[in-house]
Amino acid sequence: MNMRSNHGLTATLIALSLTVAGCAEVQRASEDIARQSGNPRLAGAIHGVGNVVGSLFPIGYEEESSIGQAMALQVVARYGGVVDQPELVRYVNLVGRAVANTSDRPDIPYRVAILEHESINAFAAPAGYIFVTRGLLKQVRNEAELAAVLGHEIAHVSQKHILDVIQRSKRLAGVTEAGLSYATSNPAAFKTVIDGAVKKLLDEGLDQDKETEADTIGEVFATRVGYDADAYVNLLTRLRDLKGDDRALFKTHPNFSARIEAVQKTIQSKHLVATGVLLPERFARMAKRI
Amino acid sequence: MISPRVLRVVLIVLWIGLLVWSGEGRAETVYVQAKTAQLRAGKTSLDAVVGNVKFGDALEVVGRDGSWVEVKTSAGAKGWIFANKTSSSKPSGTNDTLAKLGQSMRGNDASATTASAGARGLDKASEGYANRAGVSARDRDAVDRMTAYQIPDQEVEEFLREGGLGEYAK
Repeated sequence: MNMRSNHGLTATLIALSLTVAGCAEVQRASEDIARQSGNPRLAGAIHGVGNVVGSLFPIGYEEESSIGQAMALQVVARYGGVVDQPELVRYVNLVGRAVANTSDRPDIPYRVAILEHESINAFAAPAGYIFVTRGLLKQVRNEAELAAVLGHEIAHVSQKHILDVIQRSKRLAGVTEAGLSYATSNPAAFKTVIDGAVKKLLDEGLDQDKETEADTIGEVFATRVGYDADAYVNLLTRLRDLKGDDRALFKTHPNFSARIEAVQKTIQSKHLVATGVLLPERFARMAKRI
Repeated sequence: MISPRVLRVVLIVLWIGLLVWSGEGRAETVYVQAKTAQLRAGKTSLDAVVGNVKFGDALEVVGRDGSWVEVKTSAGAKGWIFANKTSSSKPSGTNDTLAKLGQSMRGNDASATTASAGARGLDKASEGYANRAGVSARDRDAVDRMTAYQIPDQEVEEFLREGGLGEYAK
């Protein structure tokens, strides 16, 4: 065995063992040793090992943020742009922040945009990009109902439901590389990943158990702030009356009766309180602008 | 030689002592489950703010009364915090340990492609996506503005106060 391969073997062993142990600095040092010993292929292999091991771990916020922004672009494009009414936008963002600040994931920025669309819909993209349509806002009667709708979307973000979709979309696009570097090295693959995730979010819908989970956790988030626990049930019941159970509010969600039942069970099991805090007047002042 | 009977008594006494010790010595801990929270001198939102804590801070429980918990910080400051802003389990945060570890192993490849919250301008990855997907300048600007949109914490607090929400519940 010559000197060069000795260096290589040492570097590989150090990289493998310490990468697994979480010492990324040592992994990078091993890459340098391999490179300095005249073996760029080995350096590349060590880097690859780091990537593969790293890919076994959850997506970090930086990556999530980039993906969320790209998905937001597509949501806005497909839904005809956003409402440009500063006071109304500020109001929905205040309600969103009020709920998000005591959610299970309060340490990221949340922003709410109103989509210029008459359909009754709401979405959440990764990293706190939340959307409600003008059509949905027209169905809401008070601030507590709006808080519950936003609570549902914040729950999707806090539970990282959409990141599961991204992982699946990456696999379908054939992206084996971990992290976001492929977004610049292979932009076509990045587009495929984003388009796949957007299709799932807007057209096919998340798994129904995730929708139910978002309903129940979102209900908890809204009531933590003090909003009336019955508000969400009232909204869902009214939408069921409007749309019926055959055709759910969002074609991507479970039917209304199942959703109402799940929320009512949560209210009972978690002893959530009908506080009477609905704030219809504050909402009505803003609703004039919808 | 100690008789089995004496040994049994000694063991029972030791066991009871251990139970008493563990019950007294292990104080209850709660964690801040809100972006930020205020410690107050009393158990109402009208009481003076005596300190500020942030998401994930560990607080030792001194007492409880209704919707409020009396706590002590690691620095020794005491005050009351609204119970809905606390959790009995430690929150994992945005990047839990596994996510941080994974990112560390992959290297900071995301840094070159992302922008920090609040900064104007789409990040490099999104800009590339917008070009490929043919997203209009109007829609790019909308997401750009959305990304940069911020409301100061004090304004959110004022919004809660006006609505009688959270710790300002009437």
